[in-house]
Amino acid sequence: MKRREFFSKGTKVALAAGSIPFITASCASTNDVVYNKKEDKWHHLGTGESGIVNRKKTTEFDVAVIGGGAAGICAAVSAARNGAKVVLVQDRPVLGGNASSEIHVHLNGVNNIKGKAERETGLIEEILLLNRFENEQESWSVWDHVLYEFVVREPNLTLMMNTQAMEAVMEGNKIKSALCWQGTTETMYTINADVFIDCSGDGLLAATSGAEYRTGREGKKEFDETFAPDEPDGWQMGATLIMESKDMGRPMKYSPPSFAIKYTHEGAHKKRHFKGFQDGIWWIEVGSDNDIIADFEQNRHKLMGYMHGVWDYIKNSGNFPEAETLALDWVGSFPGRRESRRFIGDYIVSERDMTEHKHFEDAVAYGGWSLDEHNPGGIENLSEPPSYFHYHFKEVYQFPFRSLYSKNVSNLMFAGRNVSQTHIALSSSRIMATCALQGQAVGTAASICNKRNVSPREVGQKHINELQEQLLRDDAFIPKRPANDPLDLARKSSLIFGSTTSSGAAKNLLNGMSRDIDGEINHWQSDGLSANVQLEWETPIDLSKVELKCDTNIKRNIMMRKDSRNDELYGNGVPKEMLKTLSLQGRVNGKWVDLGNISENKTRLIKFSFESIKVTAIKIDMTKTYGAENVKLFEVRCYA
Amino acid sequence: MISFTKLFFWLIILPTLWLSPFEGTQNRFKTIKHEVIINHPGEKDPVFTILNEIQNQDGLPTRYTMDVYSVICLEEVCKVIPVKLFWNNTGEYQKYELAKGETLEKYEADLFETEDYIKLQSILANNNSPFKEVYIDEILTVPDEHGNEDVDAVSGATALELDEKDTVPGAALTCFTLWHWANGDVVLKIKAQTGKSASEIQLIDFILDKNNTYFHIALEELESRELYTAPFIDATIQKVLKEESVLRPAYKFLEKAGNDNYLKASKTLFVQGHKEQKLAALQSLKQTKQNVPKLYLDTLSDKVSTLNSYQETSLLLELMQSKNPNSQQVIKNVMPLLESEFLIARRAFWFLKNQILDDNQVNLVNAFEEQYKDRL
Repeated sequence: MKRREFFSKGTKVALAAGSIPFITASCASTNDVVYNKKEDKWHHLGTGESGIVNRKKTTEFDVAVIGGGAAGICAAVSAARNGAKVVLVQDRPVLGGNASSEIHVHLNGVNNIKGKAERETGLIEEILLLNRFENEQESWSVWDHVLYEFVVREPNLTLMMNTQAMEAVMEGNKIKSALCWQGTTETMYTINADVFIDCSGDGLLAATSGAEYRTGREGKKEFDETFAPDEPDGWQMGATLIMESKDMGRPMKYSPPSFAIKYTHEGAHKKRHFKGFQDGIWWIEVGSDNDIIADFEQNRHKLMGYMHGVWDYIKNSGNFPEAETLALDWVGSFPGRRESRRFIGDYIVSERDMTEHKHFEDAVAYGGWSLDEHNPGGIENLSEPPSYFHYHFKEVYQFPFRSLYSKNVSNLMFAGRNVSQTHIALSSSRIMATCALQGQAVGTAASICNKRNVSPREVGQKHINELQEQLLRDDAFIPKRPANDPLDLARKSSLIFGSTTSSGAAKNLLNGMSRDIDGEINHWQSDGLSANVQLEWETPIDLSKVELKCDTNIKRNIMMRKDSRNDELYGNGVPKEMLKTLSLQGRVNGKWVDLGNISENKTRLIKFSFESIKVTAIKIDMTKTYGAENVKLFEVRCYA
Repeated sequence: MISFTKLFFWLIILPTLWLSPFEGTQNRFKTIKHEVIINHPGEKDPVFTILNEIQNQDGLPTRYTMDVYSVICLEEVCKVIPVKLFWNNTGEYQKYELAKGETLEKYEADLFETEDYIKLQSILANNNSPFKEVYIDEILTVPDEHGNEDVDAVSGATALELDEKDTVPGAALTCFTLWHWANGDVVLKIKAQTGKSASEIQLIDFILDKNNTYFHIALEELESRELYTAPFIDATIQKVLKEESVLRPAYKFLEKAGNDNYLKASKTLFVQGHKEQKLAALQSLKQTKQNVPKLYLDTLSDKVSTLNSYQETSLLLELMQSKNPNSQQVIKNVMPLLESEFLIARRAFWFLKNQILDDNQVNLVNAFEEQYKDRL
């Protein structure tokens, strides 16, 4: 049906159990609660007035981001911070997607490369750090609000919750508008934007735009993938429901509900282990070899049954005496999805790109989770291992920009599990912090589209250096791609030195690499505190911004975990290495002038912004960390 | 346990180190038993045990031993073998011994092979072994140690991934248990004990030793005994002139010394030291609450023209500005810097602009200002 016809004829809207209507375009009806407002007689008893409610709104934005998970949040915030007027459309009542309080999945990333993390920096780092400051108690629902705060505090960003982007209105090969239904206000929004970014996972908006996509598993031949099946098929990894228990300190009985599906563990593969079952079992998973989106409600019901069945087995089989005093404390009702549509870009990332560490000139993100392909059938195929864990990376791999925009819809980008990649590549890149990096990349790219009036493809072809440089400035990391920003005045300084040095060197702060990696040290570390770093210019410069990257120990994970693990690899608090208190001075006519003070720093990327001033030197005085005896920096930048 | 004689390959590899001086002259050595409390990550509660300190005829601790268990046993599923561990006097693990006739076991009752004993020795001797970062429950639940398991995105359930080179296949639990005995809490206890047992002469030897660990042991002990007298200060200066990596702990110690000793140390480090020693001395003098006489600072300023870097020059000028402003001698020493390379010249200029100058000096400073007015 053409869009115009949709408006004129009206469409049947069935209000399902949830608040989101399901539009069946082929079945027009006069009972359209959305558009046929003339029959809706709102009568206000207080005023005695009757009227027709207006439940149609049109809004205009530079960039519309669909989906409020890690990828969508980072896409929206990066676009907004880089100057675009942005709307973030989220179909759930909370942000966070799989990591939200609705689902409880750990926000994993490159958790473990040869025993250490290689943590994602940029916006996702900022989010995870903010959570460590504002959510010391590690509450999932407080985490939702940390994400909410992270989004709503952005002045250029409008957040629409409980809003489903349902259909694209096209103009040629461009999306002109997204039709979005906000269930809580019974309002149909028409969101017009220059650029659309679908980070929704399932990608309904992108699909309705006619963007090409694929589902299922590629056969071995297509991309010469070692771990792909011999022949292509339709299998998509499943969704999982999590359960969590608490120790009541006394024996607790458990009776399964009527919808529980009996579980015996008979014939189960030995790798279906129960370690950490108190916090949920990831292999309670059901997928599909056909239309996994259509199957969702059926699979959700099954998953609830399996989840209670497995818990019944744990509680009542006698095999888990340690579970005697445990009781379910939180049970998921909304499964966390792994896979459905994968949209086609100008490039499709496949297994060998990752395992052979292909270098992409347009690299904008990276990953390093294992090739963690779950078995076909999920819990309904018990004799298989729950995941094959085909391959463990020894270093991170790059992800190219060409896989993050549509090959046939000119103003559409995507980030998250729905990007242009094979099923096997997805098995690694689907991890949320990796998706978040893609999100920051496309959000930043969208701001360039907006500034330069170009398409995403043109950003890739003509402005990739600008995109990469902006990402690096905003603390993203691109493997083997040092920053080299010609506007950075720190690089033009005549001298840089630290007051003391216990490792690295102050000159490393200008080398464009904002982490220690590939066996190279790229930091300066003081010998004790207080300490300072000073830059000198032979001729005065106009300065209004100084930006630092401090150490947050990115070799140790900081995402919130249900077990609150706190050891060498996982931390459950603010990293002690992080710089807490610092001040900035500029030298004007031979005298040091205060340019800024930060007493409780909460970010890795630390920004000072001030009225433009002419200086011949700056001095960064650092007096406290969150516990480490030395302070470590990775970068200093200066801008006019 | 001392009589246990089951020796393995490592004894063949390094026989002289462990066998000859000790076994042959046992009567000249004294063993002192210390009750210690050790936290082991595989144990819920702290473990009370005995640490044996072996002193030579001079009362110097030369090595330590402790009897431990090979495996922390849960649900009675593993065999426990007593093991004796040996450390040197800085807490570095040296070797292990088993009781005669005892053998270590792997999963499912497989016995250790000869090469497994050698590998265990190399694992225990690596104080950065991956076992440092492994949880015991990761080992207990994953018999397959070769990396075929991983972490799933959803629950974050972890399974152990160790390279074969980092573990004895089938005996990760033994490796984990013994590694933490060998490299855990006990190391700090040994260092502290070595310091306590050392005589003052031995502490001076420690300060001067090439191995910096001895230096740290000595300084901890000197601070605990509140010994800040000349022999220790002199030894510390001597050490720090050669080894800049210990500057910070050294200065923490020196700053507690009496004023004369402190000033002597700072001057020596400033005059004789390299850049890092000079910077440390200047920084300390600038920040210290000790009395720093103006005459003393005047003398230091005589060296300003010998300084090799902007940073040293700038810090010296900061020190003079804050503790010895308007000194004629300092001004006289700094004036020639106006002819130095530009950054240093400009720094000198700004220093001089804040001093009370005579007419000639004012003229020179003004001339500099006029010449470089676009670069100030």
